[in-house]
Amino acid sequence: MASKVKLKPYSRGVSIIGVGCTPFMFTLDNEKTNGLCEGELFGYAALEAMEDAGLEPSDVEFYYHGQALPSLQSDYITQNMQVANWFGMKGKASVAHSEACCTGYVALEQAVTAVASGAYDIVLSGACDMSDARAVRDKPAHIRARFTTEEFIGGAIPMVYSRDYTRGFLASNAMVADGWIMDYARENNLSDQQIDDALNSMAVNCRRASSLNPLALMRTPFEQEAAEAGFDNVMDYMRSPYNPFLSQYLRVTGFEQKCDGAAAVIVCPTEIAHRYSDHPIEVLGIGHACLEGIWSYLERDATLEAYRQVKELTGLTGEDMDLFLANDFFIASHLVAAEACEYLPKGHGWEYAIEGRTAFDGDKPINTNGGRCHFGHAHGTSGLGDIYEAVKQMRGLMGPTQLAKTPKKAMLRGFGGGQNVICAILNGEN
Amino acid sequence: MDKQNYELIVKGFYDFLEEGKVMGRKCTRCGEVGFPPFIACNECGCPKTEWAEISGEATVTGLTMPGIMQNFPDVAEAFGPYCFASVKLKEGSEINAIVLGVTASDRDGLRQRLPVPVKPRIVQRDGYKTVFWELAE
Repeated sequence: MASKVKLKPYSRGVSIIGVGCTPFMFTLDNEKTNGLCEGELFGYAALEAMEDAGLEPSDVEFYYHGQALPSLQSDYITQNMQVANWFGMKGKASVAHSEACCTGYVALEQAVTAVASGAYDIVLSGACDMSDARAVRDKPAHIRARFTTEEFIGGAIPMVYSRDYTRGFLASNAMVADGWIMDYARENNLSDQQIDDALNSMAVNCRRASSLNPLALMRTPFEQEAAEAGFDNVMDYMRSPYNPFLSQYLRVTGFEQKCDGAAAVIVCPTEIAHRYSDHPIEVLGIGHACLEGIWSYLERDATLEAYRQVKELTGLTGEDMDLFLANDFFIASHLVAAEACEYLPKGHGWEYAIEGRTAFDGDKPINTNGGRCHFGHAHGTSGLGDIYEAVKQMRGLMGPTQLAKTPKKAMLRGFGGGQNVICAILNGEN
Repeated sequence: MDKQNYELIVKGFYDFLEEGKVMGRKCTRCGEVGFPPFIACNECGCPKTEWAEISGEATVTGLTMPGIMQNFPDVAEAFGPYCFASVKLKEGSEINAIVLGVTASDRDGLRQRLPVPVKPRIVQRDGYKTVFWELAE
């Protein structure tokens, strides 16, 4: 159906004044983190965001709680309430939401809308997923067990597909993984080898960024892994059995690294943002489209629609952006999304990736935190992790991975296996 | 809308499969036959649709083979080789689906000949029937 959705300008401008993000980690594997639970992780991220904005809990009027897998990972169905006492929110109104891997991007949309409506001035939106250390029923929250890949793929992934027809047709997850890059290869007459080189290059670029980011999960550059395995050339290593294919196109280094983490953002009306931050980041617009898993090329079509909405609203295109962040639990996603959103020239993005131009030190940087496959994927949290990255980049605070030219405008393309797609534009110019 | 007699559309779809029919829903306003069937029309947004058998004419517009992460050994055992595909129906819907009879060695040849005609095949699963597709050539 041709969309008739036309976004209207916010009733009042909304800006980000505070961000917080925990390390993305395997909490079980470190004695200093083993035992952390949802309330603590969410609370630390939320309190960091408040500190960033010069606020205290009493200043926050409302909060949103995002989580991709509350029942499977936390044994909760009212997850907003289960963290409320941990960061001074007793008695404050809150709402829980869950849009799979798009949750962290929807989190921003919800908070912005709440402020733009005029109902609240100071709204916090956070998320926490412990996608490696799940709860153990009938045990206190600090007692946790490994949420295995088998539990995730066999238990969680099917739950994002409808039981009317989609699950029975059996093809959705495979086509979500490979469908768009398959179509991209066909449209641009690219060989399997060319696609493989592009995706491997993207993994190398992202890992180089995550290895320099203290919050990231994957800290060893592939060049080092290759040398330790006896390879002189990192691309030979990436093409080797050390990096096996999981699907037709995706190798293991192009698949998400699920882990534990939390992040939060605080927004307020733009007109008062400078009271709280020397460098507020305005949210110019957020496009949003959803397609259920039965439809072919759903990520492509929903991305094009979300981008159309925000482009029409703001008059800005991908070409106007200095930074692009895309939820890429399948790494191909950040290439095709960047082209669909006109950040990379149509049909040539794969060459940009191979030439290193999409790395944090390239001229068209993408996923400068390493993305879902290298920064890590705490599922519902990851979008807020990307917002944290964008805000810190726009403030010039990212240290070793800081872009050479501090970005003024950034686009975030969220995508969830639950099939929400967000396209948000942030403005760092004051 | 008769609140005492809601139409059971999902059940109806599976009941029709037992009769050997693959059904969609035709919009009473724009005439689009949507597949699979839902209450309202996803083309024009009309809230009313009615049962209509699909033509069975469709094409594969893209395909990928099972891998380590995505595969169904029970499907391969029961029905032989298969691929995951985008199947575009003559009626308009384009869905993610299983196409039977496709081996890994077929992939490149099929990709060069896209769109490739396919037809629906009603298959028995554990306690219900569903729809896969197979090459029409």
